[in-house]
Amino acid sequence: MIRVENLHKYFGKLHVLRGVTNHVSRGEVVVIIGPSGSGKSTFLRCLNLLEMPNEGDIYIEGVNVVNHGANRVDINKVRAEVGMVFQSFNLFPHMNVLRNITLAPVLVKGISEDQALKEALALLERVGLSEKAEAYPSQLSGGQQQRVAIARALAMRPKVMLFDEPTSALDPEMIGEVLDVMKDLVSDGMTMVVVTHEMGFAREVADRVLFMDGGVIVEENTPSELFSNPQNPRTKAFLSKIL
Amino acid sequence: MIASTLRFLWENKMFLLAGAWTTVQLTAVSVALGTVIGTVVGIGRISKNKVISLAAAAYADFLRGTPLLVQIFLVHHGLPAVVSRYVPGFHITPFISAITALSINSGAYVSEIVRAGIQSIDKGQMEAGRSLGMTYWQTMRHIILPQAFRRVVPPLGNEFIALLKDSSLVFAIGYNELMTRGRLLMTKYFMFFETWVAVAIIYLCMTMAVSRLVRFIERRMAVDDQS
Ligand SMILES: Nc1ncnc2c1ncn2[C@@H]1O[C@H](COP(=O)(O)OP(=O)(O)OP(=O)(O)O)[C@@H](O)[C@H]1O
Ligand SMILES: [Mg+2]
Repeated sequence: MIRVENLHKYFGKLHVLRGVTNHVSRGEVVVIIGPSGSGKSTFLRCLNLLEMPNEGDIYIEGVNVVNHGANRVDINKVRAEVGMVFQSFNLFPHMNVLRNITLAPVLVKGISEDQALKEALALLERVGLSEKAEAYPSQLSGGQQQRVAIARALAMRPKVMLFDEPTSALDPEMIGEVLDVMKDLVSDGMTMVVVTHEMGFAREVADRVLFMDGGVIVEENTPSELFSNPQNPRTKAFLSKIL
Repeated sequence: MIASTLRFLWENKMFLLAGAWTTVQLTAVSVALGTVIGTVVGIGRISKNKVISLAAAAYADFLRGTPLLVQIFLVHHGLPAVVSRYVPGFHITPFISAITALSINSGAYVSEIVRAGIQSIDKGQMEAGRSLGMTYWQTMRHIILPQAFRRVVPPLGNEFIALLKDSSLVFAIGYNELMTRGRLLMTKYFMFFETWVAVAIIYLCMTMAVSRLVRFIERRMAVDDQS
């Protein structure tokens, strides 16, 4: 589904990704953990080309989406198929919840307003926010905003969903409602790559956990193996701090 | 003095008010065109394309760094002097010159306002739009600019007020607005003090009216805007 080969990313002189290689299968749930600054967000942002890698390839369903040399792709088309949920929600504050959800499908996919509206209402029901359809983002709690953000991404019917610390900006009592929505997606078979500090979530739903440090994937394993039996000393050190 | 000024104002009210009305129209049209120019130039200034961003910066720097009066003369006398070499009989009316010079000038100031407005919008908004597959321009048009425009209403209002006052400079090319009419009255009656106090009072009323209007619009938007 997603194959990443030898990905490198520089910010000026700063070498942030130093050769990341991995493969995410269809329906797989991959959790990425690692210390701050290790390149988790940068890696995720490369997957939907919010950052252009300087070197290496990303194949989404067999198609190389990295622009270099002869390889030219329509970035917008790639992004339309890869949903992204941000730590800070990034809802559009000047639009109500429904409009937040329907805007992109109408503009990008050209589906009719009516159809978009119907799908948006179904998605809102799915994330448990039907009664907030007409509300504006500022009238919602953080947890509700993040659920709308998830619905907004889903409205594009993405093949993969990327989550960058989706619960880190939330008050503790709201984390559960967002994780529940994500678990619902997992049980639906969605392919997901999630950067998170929620180890309980990782343990429960992840097929695989990647530990990143210093711009590379240091170690990967099933959650139970990685958490109970880490091999690399850096993984051990990191886990001993957070578990 | 006060009494004679008021009497002077009253006796010439139609003449002066007609000039004031011309000033308002001139300013409104120029700010409207200036807003269009300023939006284009302001977006150009944040372009990743170096040629575009440099050209936009040069435009703004030139117009903000030279006197408006020079620009008015340049448009009114300089332009025809060059163009008529290629287009014989090319003629430009004070009306066209005034609007052109003022819009181009205000476009430079508005570009600065628009640029700051766009840059004040959280980067996450552009990223959210792009991550949904929307193009740069779709995101600009539907996400960034609508939010930016709400924020630039107060500075745009100030620009309107500044231009309303600066528009008096077009008397120099004989455009028949308030300032020009003031000068006509001065040479007719030689009541220097009364004339200019009267003209000043009218400008003051106009700028105060505009600033009230801006505050009203701001309040209205605060009500509409739930964010
Ligand atoms: N746009 C950018 N320009 C310059 N440097 C950047 C940029 N984005 C990230 N970096 C740097 O790249 C490094 C990796 O950042 P990244 O956000 O990927 O880390 P992270 O693993 O997500 O960390 P965190 O857990 O704090 O979110 C950091 O040193 C960061 O300062
Ligand atoms: Mg991060």
